Amino acid sequence: MTRAILSCTGLDKSLGSLAREVAIRSAEVLGCELVCPVLLHSAPARYEIILANGDLIVIDGCPTRCATKLANQVGAKIDRKVLVTDAVKASGLALEPSLSLGPQGMQLAQRLVDALVRDITAGIGTPEDLASLKAPDDYLIVMQDKYQFRIPAREYAFTENDTWVRIVGERAFVGVSDYIQQKMTDITYVAPPASDDAVEQFGELGTIESAKAVLEIIAPVSGTVVEVNTTLIDHPELLNDDPYGAGWIAVLALTDYTADRELLLDGAAYAAIVQRKAAAEAG
Amino acid sequence: MSVKREKISWAPTIDYSKCNFCMECDKFCPHRVFERQDGERKLVVANPHNCVVFCRACAKTCGPDALTFPSKPETITRIKQLRAEEEAG
Repeated sequence: MTRAILSCTGLDKSLGSLAREVAIRSAEVLGCELVCPVLLHSAPARYEIILANGDLIVIDGCPTRCATKLANQVGAKIDRKVLVTDAVKASGLALEPSLSLGPQGMQLAQRLVDALVRDITAGIGTPEDLASLKAPDDYLIVMQDKYQFRIPAREYAFTENDTWVRIVGERAFVGVSDYIQQKMTDITYVAPPASDDAVEQFGELGTIESAKAVLEIIAPVSGTVVEVNTTLIDHPELLNDDPYGAGWIAVLALTDYTADRELLLDGAAYAAIVQRKAAAEAG
Repeated sequence: MSVKREKISWAPTIDYSKCNFCMECDKFCPHRVFERQDGERKLVVANPHNCVVFCRACAKTCGPDALTFPSKPETITRIKQLRAEEEAG
């Protein structure tokens, strides 16, 4: 299996210069093919074999996500992603505004390369060890035009931000609702939270992405991430196929469920919100 | 949340020194929070109360990083405070 890197070349932005530098250095270290976005756009056949056979790493400079959109357009499956803007923010370093990279930019580039290489060479967890969650049988149904949205009638609690929590013993499984997965359409990429991350209620638990949008997964409860559904990295479609079961995103060890519960909705209350949202979008 | 939406201040703020009026946020948001208009500021936050509390999805579409939101922890504290006031009477 070969690996390829498709990167933003961002000729008019310093973030673009950084993305390009990260792509070139990573390709050298990892021995990847570089995919030029301009050539891919104008002559996709040039990269057909590479994209069909390889694992694709996509590097976006900014949230316009040109490289991701291009990968989606040509139907390439994305294996890993880097969003340079987020990485810069997380690093605490400031990127020089000039288009050529200065010393800070070079330092940032090397950090991003190291992180990407580490991530790729470390591999991912073994899905066989993962917890499992069976989808419920009993649903409330919200209808809007030709759409039907299913909401578990019991055992699941929701946020207005379309995430759910289900408590199983000491574990809190979290995921996204059927309504939001249908709205997103085919989910193509999942960036799960990291294990051991502490998250506040309504904090961020990674992101999911489709051709239409990037969605921040909003934590329905506060806690520490004890397990991440790594199966979703290779099979993001599980979020579409089974959002309340196999498409769970993470398991949290709860910190203060009694307090968190006050701000959660039961199935019926969330169904009313879905009805309202769906009607507003249709109108 | 039983607190009235109008009492919770949660909506994007546009930094006009960064915004390039690409309108990706407006194209994305299904809740009509933004509104396009004529003049120098081609986009404004016209309906802040339509914004779903804690949603920051439009910011994820913003190339120039021109959208910011209030602090989540402060907003949660405020919501809990308002709930307590409502319950008290």
